[in-house]
Amino acid sequence: MTTPYVQLARLAKPLLLALSLLLPMAAQADTDPDGFTRPLDSLKFNPGLDQTEFERATLEALEIYDPWERFNRHMYHFNYRLDEWVLLPVVRGYMYVTPRFVRSGVSNFFGNLGDIPNLLNSALQLKGKRSLQTTGRLLVNTTVGVFGLWDPASRIGLPKQSEDFGQTLGFYGVGDGPYLVLPFFGPSNVRDAGGRVFDFAVDSEVNFLNVAEATEDHPEIFLLRSINARYTTNFRYGQLNSPFEYEKVRYVYTRARDLQIAE
Amino acid sequence: MPRILRLAALFGSLLSAPLWAADVDPATYGFPLHNPFEATIATTPTALRPALPFDTDIDQADYALLLRPEREFELPENFWPVTKMHYRLAQQSKPAPLMFIIAGTGSNYANSTMDFLKKLYYQAGYHVVQLSSPTSYDFMASASRYATPGISADDADDLYRVMQAVRAQHPDLPVTEYYLTGYSLGGLQAAFVSHLDETRRSFNFKRVLLINPPVNLNTSVSNLDRLVQTEVKGVTDSTTFYELMLRKLSLYFQQKGYIDLSEAMLYDFQQSRQRLTNEQMAMLIGTVFRFASADIAFTSDLINRRGLIIPPNYPITEGTSLTPFFKRALQCDFDCYMTNQLIPMWRARHNGGSFTQLVDAVSLYGLEDYLRNSPKIAVLHNADDVILGPGDLGFLRRTFGERLTVYPYGGHLGNLNYKVNTQAMLDFFRG
Repeated sequence: MTTPYVQLARLAKPLLLALSLLLPMAAQADTDPDGFTRPLDSLKFNPGLDQTEFERATLEALEIYDPWERFNRHMYHFNYRLDEWVLLPVVRGYMYVTPRFVRSGVSNFFGNLGDIPNLLNSALQLKGKRSLQTTGRLLVNTTVGVFGLWDPASRIGLPKQSEDFGQTLGFYGVGDGPYLVLPFFGPSNVRDAGGRVFDFAVDSEVNFLNVAEATEDHPEIFLLRSINARYTTNFRYGQLNSPFEYEKVRYVYTRARDLQIAE
Repeated sequence: MPRILRLAALFGSLLSAPLWAADVDPATYGFPLHNPFEATIATTPTALRPALPFDTDIDQADYALLLRPEREFELPENFWPVTKMHYRLAQQSKPAPLMFIIAGTGSNYANSTMDFLKKLYYQAGYHVVQLSSPTSYDFMASASRYATPGISADDADDLYRVMQAVRAQHPDLPVTEYYLTGYSLGGLQAAFVSHLDETRRSFNFKRVLLINPPVNLNTSVSNLDRLVQTEVKGVTDSTTFYELMLRKLSLYFQQKGYIDLSEAMLYDFQQSRQRLTNEQMAMLIGTVFRFASADIAFTSDLINRRGLIIPPNYPITEGTSLTPFFKRALQCDFDCYMTNQLIPMWRARHNGGSFTQLVDAVSLYGLEDYLRNSPKIAVLHNADDVILGPGDLGFLRRTFGERLTVYPYGGHLGNLNYKVNTQAMLDFFRG
């Protein structure tokens, strides 16, 4: 079960990292008598210092189709409280009662189940190489990794490559539709919310390792899966520490999905 | 003092004092990123960072303090998360010294730099308290009396009350002595907190370390405001700066075949055709600070009901869109915030006073004598820090002498997580 926050956290990090790439600077600026190297002197500035590129870019970035904003904002606050009052305390309890190797086993196990929709969606997008790699992951992790409790595939050069049905729809040109904040899952849009339903159905139809069927009799599996989903998600409400967190999350989610679909 | 006199004094003292004792030799320093913008954004490669404990091996929790009960009624209902002041405490199981850490501009107590420093000092045996910056949205709403950050003495006073309240909330925590550190703007504020502590005597800080502090606050904010004025290649009428960045990322991932998540990707990207120029990196750094200034301008205006960005008493519920106010706030850089909010408030409270007086009072200059005569305070800084201006390092050399360490590279805080620097921090506090 991958929540959009997982995707958000996964993508936001490389996004920031990647944005931070640099070229080695060969030229050394003149140094002051006190040792200061005047780093800004090496930059080429707009002569009038009246450029408004930051304003232009940011104003444009705020243009995201969000006709249900009132509902979405209420849902954002609902999720925030749910997180603070229920989910995070439960995750803390989970971390208190389990050693780390148990938690990583749980994460790997459900991650392995998640490779089924990853494989299906890679195939639907006719991505041959990725489909083969994900098939390889499933084979290695389910056998050598003992039903997915370990993830040896990543170590031998078969990294996890998430594909969901929302991405598949996007791949075939389906637009985002209105932005939508889902209860519990967080940021989404109409296309991705529909994709989520499809992936959920695939999960119970395929019934890989009999987990979906066992979950019907043992709701605690569903509970563990939900706790694991929150445990593996780095996002914390308030983390952006801004009165405009709603807008920023909306932008990052939307652009991160664009990137995932394009690649 | 006219600038020429200050310059003369600077050069005079440069010639006379033993000033170069604490300069780190570029040849032996070993920090790999010699470009200040690259260092600021990427910080230290993973292999050169110190080994630190996992979060789960640290006995830590977040706590809340109700410091300004009136804010619950003054603030609109969608500000419920910030009516209480939050902080993080990591405690040792036995009596230990306690380290207060103050975050940089706009940052809250839980950002990655704060957690990094927490792990560093926790591993070395300290209790650690992580505090949000007085310029951060949560601190302004929940702990600041005037909610107009920038007057360093007032910000320090707010911080001091928070520290006292933190201690009062943990009466059984066995603390042997108190230490204080802060980075960037938090470093400047740590100096003012230390100064306040000399008269209030609640903590008697044993040692205080300022990491990459601004020297002249006006120079620093002007530099940061200016970063978004660079001529960025690739920005056109139809392509905004963000679209340019995203396009580079997208092309890079497509060439690579998949979205890679490791930090190694960063160095790979650097080698690729999509790498960023200095101007693009400067714009990126400037953008981060513009978002900080937008948050500060909006929050200060809202709490003080100044009506510059949001009309006073504008009805706001949890469903109300704040986007129109975001659009106005993002057009306010630090200069705009100072001109429209900080200076008018300062003048009203101090019977006038010139801009120069304000800058002197809120910068390290205001504490020059205290800093010169306080052997317990030290500074780590970089020769290529983008928040410094000409003469600032000279001021630090004159004032701190051997208590100043200048690293040749690192940009703004880029070497904070470099092994050599973290060792210097621990050595300083160990004494």
